[in-house]
Amino acid sequence: MLKGAIEYAPSTFEERGAAVAFTTPLLSQTRVRRGERSKLEVLIPSLSQGMGIYVVAWKAVPDMVSMTMHDRYLHDLIVKEEACSPHEIRRATLRAARRGLAGPKAAQAARLALDEDEEQGTLTHYLLILSILKAVGLESPEMLKAGIDTDEGQRLTRQLMTRAAESLRMDATLLYARLADIAAVTAPVGLAHSPRPGRLTRGLNGLKDFRDSMTGWARDVPSDAAPVAEFCAEVAQHTIAIGDKVLGDFHRRLDAIGPLMRDWDDAFIRVRTQAARMAWLLDGWSHITGAWEVAQAEDHQQQAAAINDLFRILPLLPRREATRDFVEDSKQVKQAHRRSVRMLEDWRTGQMDIDAIRRIETVKARAP
Amino acid sequence: MTGRATEGGKTDHLPGLESRLFDIPEDKFIEVVRLLERVRDHPDVRQTFAAIRPRLVQVRPNRRPTLKRVLCMPFEDVLESFSGVDVPLGRIERRVIDPVWRLVTECGDTALIDQLDRQAQETAPGNLNALRNIGRRLWPMAAKAIRGAVEQDSGRQALRRVLHGDDEMQRQVLDVAAFLEIGLTVESLKDALAPKPLPALDDRHVDAIEQAAQAVARQSSGLVYYLLLVAASRMENPADLLTVVNDLDFGKARREQPVIFAQLSGLVVTNLEERSARLDGHGYSAGPDRAAVAVAPEEAVAIAERLVASVDTTSAVMDFLADPVYRGRLDAVKVAVRTMVAGTVLDTASAGILTAVPAPAGSGRPIPVNEDAQEAAEDHARALRRCEGLAEALGLQEPLKDAMASMEKGLLARAHALLAQYPKAADPEDAETAEINLFYALRLLELVAGPAKADQFRTAIMAATGEFAEEE
Repeated sequence: MLKGAIEYAPSTFEERGAAVAFTTPLLSQTRVRRGERSKLEVLIPSLSQGMGIYVVAWKAVPDMVSMTMHDRYLHDLIVKEEACSPHEIRRATLRAARRGLAGPKAAQAARLALDEDEEQGTLTHYLLILSILKAVGLESPEMLKAGIDTDEGQRLTRQLMTRAAESLRMDATLLYARLADIAAVTAPVGLAHSPRPGRLTRGLNGLKDFRDSMTGWARDVPSDAAPVAEFCAEVAQHTIAIGDKVLGDFHRRLDAIGPLMRDWDDAFIRVRTQAARMAWLLDGWSHITGAWEVAQAEDHQQQAAAINDLFRILPLLPRREATRDFVEDSKQVKQAHRRSVRMLEDWRTGQMDIDAIRRIETVKARAP
Repeated sequence: MTGRATEGGKTDHLPGLESRLFDIPEDKFIEVVRLLERVRDHPDVRQTFAAIRPRLVQVRPNRRPTLKRVLCMPFEDVLESFSGVDVPLGRIERRVIDPVWRLVTECGDTALIDQLDRQAQETAPGNLNALRNIGRRLWPMAAKAIRGAVEQDSGRQALRRVLHGDDEMQRQVLDVAAFLEIGLTVESLKDALAPKPLPALDDRHVDAIEQAAQAVARQSSGLVYYLLLVAASRMENPADLLTVVNDLDFGKARREQPVIFAQLSGLVVTNLEERSARLDGHGYSAGPDRAAVAVAPEEAVAIAERLVASVDTTSAVMDFLADPVYRGRLDAVKVAVRTMVAGTVLDTASAGILTAVPAPAGSGRPIPVNEDAQEAAEDHARALRRCEGLAEALGLQEPLKDAMASMEKGLLARAHALLAQYPKAADPEDAETAEINLFYALRLLELVAGPAKADQFRTAIMAATGEFAEEE
């Protein structure tokens, strides 16, 4: 059940696992991955403020840790859906929050996020249709005027898409199927010319603000946590640099929508891989940037404690993804960090720390 | 901008503006304050400032510098607060400011005042260094003028005219003179003890207090006490200062240390009494002549935690004084806190928590989810749980145990009634509403009774909804 503390130096994102937005303080942002014989397992960092990571069979977690009702529900949902990619985990998390299990504010935020996902999907679908029509020289002011959500607009769209399929030398049904596939993959990232950036692009922008804020804090606030803040900013910067590159490539491929539709097999896999890489890169960061936003209203001492909390769950890049060994570098920071970290009281006393749970739920209401 | 009498006899100043100033965005508010400050001596505008002071305190716009404001800098931390239960140690009442200003302008160096006044008006808002440079020349002169008025025959007339024989006011005016004498040291100590309020004193803070105390002791040993009042007023729990005072080296005031400690601890106790006197069973009042303000359960617990921590620290530090009078006074403070907690958190638990779980409707359709009520009930439940940390200190163990047991029982009864109704929710939308109501009840149960007991109800919900049926 418990394999004991191990040195944690994952090579790939999949090995690192996807962060789960649990509300139990000890489990907050722990990572789930597919382990031996495809069984789900969870990675719990430094149970006793030590250096290692504990690998626990997913199903055994409720027996080991006193979990909130939200987490029990989410745990069951993840078991049922065998979820372990960032996208699947996010959907499960939003579903649990929408039920009200992380409080009314988190429920409202989850409902809003799910609605936004749907709107973003529709918008991306529409923009991709326009891109395809433009690529084959079939731009239609009438269609734009009628709007895609009217009967007339839909009739015009079907007509033009049938002609676009002919121009691309493929069956219209196939064009629609490919359009649906590419829209599903693209919506979370968003198109370069989309009036509203996709969720992951917004996440990358939020990470840039976080990096700047951490750098500023480390410079302006004399504190033991300053080197920790600096390290957080460095990890963020490294993630941003890769993210910017992946995003640029992704948008370039989607700009050439005609060739993408024609050379489907290879091109789609590449686009899908890039979208998935964006999701993995930003996995775990929304909680961190959200928690830091919440900490802005607090004093420097509380902010220092927040930075130390965030260090514990910082999404370090796996070895194969980065040119720098962040796991090794984090050990140097950890020496200083261990002196001022907040205790995980609930694990030691068996009591739920209601203030810590509330802090996590506040972040969830802000960054679902 | 003219005032007019209303039917009730009250004067309605700047009609409508005062209330609107509470609603407008922050940047607009700051803009309006700047405009009003240009005509601040007009009586209507002074009234308006008095009315909007709560928002001024909250927004803290960089006010236009005036010499009067510079005069107040060394004692601004010990000025009485406008509302709430926290009272600074050794507070100076705001009504003292105007008489002090009149004494300074009537008995002080007029040429210097005029010169500094011009400088103050030319200083940009927020330029603290420039204001302190003005203070460097103003404060010693002002302190001398006040002491002169009190101690010399020539100033007595002005003193009588300004204070109307109010002894309490005269005492505070002399305190102001002491703060002004150490103005520069106070200002640098404020920088070291920032941001206010300090949650705890670390070595850096203690060193800064010690150095400042030694600097002040070189001026006069009697002034160290005033410096410590400023230090205490910058702390979240002023009583914490008592825990370090005996370890400080006061330099030239070393011999007076026991006296200073006794003075300070006496003041801490008086201060706690004053703060607890503002509490009643339902909230607190901002002063003896004001009505009690209803306080939310979580805020009540936070106030109680601060007061109990202060009482405990004070008791621990003062134990060696072995003075039964202090003991009795501190116990009385705790009794006041206990009454407040019982009144605002325990006695109201039923109305605050249970009513958020709706009783099933006769129609069989689920009651719409009320998220505001749920939010308030969760806050109340958290306050109840936080009382566990106070129960022993306040002797509330039994009432708290009873309240918790009663909440658990009540919540379970209401939650099971909702669950029994669940199968009647036929369409998917009704089912979702019914499920959210059930999950919200589950959350309250979790907060009140803990996860182990709540989990039994969660299992019952999952069995009824069949959501994870194959895993169950």
